[in-house]
Amino acid sequence: MNGYGGNILRVNLTTGGITREATPPELARDYLGGRGFGIYFLLKEVPRGADPLGPENKLIVSPGPLSGMLAAGGGKCDWTCKAPLTGGYASASMGGHFTAELKYAGLDSIILEGVSSKPVYVFIDDKKSELRDAAEYWGQGAVDVEKELKDKFGEEFQIAVIGPAGEKAVSFAHINHDFGRQAGRGGVGAVMGSKNVKAIVVRGTRSVPVADLDAYRKAGMALYKACKEAEGLKEWTSYGTTIVVSWCDEAGALPTRNFSAGSFEDAKTLYGPYMREKIVVTDKGCFGCPCPCGKYSKVKKYNAYAEGPEYETIGLLGSNVGISDIEAVAYANLLCDNLGIDTISAGNVIGWAMECYEKGILTKQDTGGLDLKFGNIDATFKLIEMIAKKEGLGALLADGVKKASQKIGKGSEKFAIQVKGMEQSGYATHNATSMLLAYMTCDVGAHHNRAWAITYDIQVGREKVVPEKVARVIWLQNFRPMFDVLGACRLQWVELGIDRELYIPLLESITGIKRSWEDLEKVGERIWNLTRLYWVRENADFGRAWDMPPARFYTEAPTSGTTKGQITKFEDVNRLLDMYYEQRGWDSNGLPIPETMEKLGIKQEMVA
Amino acid sequence: MPAILRLSGSLKDVTGGKSEYTVEAGRSVRAVLESLGIVPLTVALVVVNGEQHTKDYIIQDGDAVRVLAVVGGG
Repeated sequence: MNGYGGNILRVNLTTGGITREATPPELARDYLGGRGFGIYFLLKEVPRGADPLGPENKLIVSPGPLSGMLAAGGGKCDWTCKAPLTGGYASASMGGHFTAELKYAGLDSIILEGVSSKPVYVFIDDKKSELRDAAEYWGQGAVDVEKELKDKFGEEFQIAVIGPAGEKAVSFAHINHDFGRQAGRGGVGAVMGSKNVKAIVVRGTRSVPVADLDAYRKAGMALYKACKEAEGLKEWTSYGTTIVVSWCDEAGALPTRNFSAGSFEDAKTLYGPYMREKIVVTDKGCFGCPCPCGKYSKVKKYNAYAEGPEYETIGLLGSNVGISDIEAVAYANLLCDNLGIDTISAGNVIGWAMECYEKGILTKQDTGGLDLKFGNIDATFKLIEMIAKKEGLGALLADGVKKASQKIGKGSEKFAIQVKGMEQSGYATHNATSMLLAYMTCDVGAHHNRAWAITYDIQVGREKVVPEKVARVIWLQNFRPMFDVLGACRLQWVELGIDRELYIPLLESITGIKRSWEDLEKVGERIWNLTRLYWVRENADFGRAWDMPPARFYTEAPTSGTTKGQITKFEDVNRLLDMYYEQRGWDSNGLPIPETMEKLGIKQEMVA
Repeated sequence: MPAILRLSGSLKDVTGGKSEYTVEAGRSVRAVLESLGIVPLTVALVVVNGEQHTKDYIIQDGDAVRVLAVVGGG
């Protein structure tokens, strides 16, 4: 099948059986790949009400038709499962080189199911697939084990591996790869750990069939050429995602002290150019990327090398916890990577704990003696370790900020910055109504990458609540996640402004099927509705209340920074949802109506 | 010799797709952006003749000004 590996690898960890099944052509036609395959298998194979950490949950990793191909940025794969963090849908995108090896091993998905009776890793070398004993790696850091496995098997093998936090089922444990790329959000690492799987090791050497080789070469090179000639390539490559730190600070979007403000008075030492000069030693790219945005840093103060930090980590483990020392942020990043926890959720939940401490809701008795004030670097390092090991206060925080605040109470729920149980990522949304709506309605919880709409707020007026803003969010939600379906990075389009039409002939040359962006957006809309219906299926009370934003954004205005005194009114929050549901074809409680499902070709039995 | 100002990425959406402008010296980049209907805060970087400047840079004759949109949310 053109553009595909042609096989689904099913790994039954309970029995130890591994089988290869042919990828159904209609699955490729209707769901394309990546997160499309993920939601298909999740709905079809994971029974309603499955325990996210039990044997019935499945972990599905899938490249897409652009993965591993002559496609600038074709280095992404999707990890889907029922989320331990939220009890709903998890879909985490991971860059690096893993996805290409999956494809070259002839795989369009790996489905991990059941539970192994002992720690194992999955070893794949082309058609050879087996489970191997992982006892010697259990308990070790993710970055450390990746190096050991690389040393053992060689550079050609790519490795996805969890840290101790995944083994201990921390609800926001991640899967690490390429010494600092992650499938970060929702607790996908905890699901892998719950199955007693430490790692997946893969090498592939097979070719991938394409429909039209000449057209493929031409379209692939056109995309590369556009990237290399793009305005801003030099700056983007120099700073990567940190290019946006100074802008967020100026715009009031930089999460500061648990999102109580959007500007940080000490932010200048977190800005991209400062970091580049101070700690960055080299650039680092994912598979097939002509504009590498990753950074590798030497952290002299802590005698370590660290990947990143990326913008999100700077925002959450920097300004959000009151830290302005870029070396400390880089080291906190390394701790999280090696221990196996998502830096976004970690920085968010630590920021919440610091606010609790400063308000007297948590005391030194609760923190195990830590002086948990904003800006305390050593306390931050210690708390990261306590979370990963579920020790003391860390055990509470390991369940995520929603559950932690429900247990602690005393008004702390109001400053738990989460939606649907997922900690909000790196953009403060004071008086930024499009971005607020994007977080409220994101299909995994409060994550930014489905619809990054904050500049639209600024261009048309931050406080405005108008149908055009809602339409913009919906269009972004239908369109942007298609990159996670295709198995490609969206940053070439996002950051370099590459014409998205360049992907159309490339996709056709690979698969032999002509699709316009209008066609692809319909696929995106269908998947968006399927993920919504998954939440409905798994949560009896799912509805409007689940889409409400953190109370902070409609009850408290920042007292400093660019957004000082600015707030979104509660009635505007509801107006946003009313308009969103109407434009989506959902009822007033946020559930897709039968006519919408019919229009999108979603049958009731698919989501029952 | 007039200066050339070039817009990147989503900034072109505001100008109806036009990305290159000939501008007179003596005005700030900020003022030029505002005259084009672009809110300056949607701009991440201003690069003049290969060097970064602020939006308050006063454009000189012969400058090559590149204005990069704020982008993020990977």
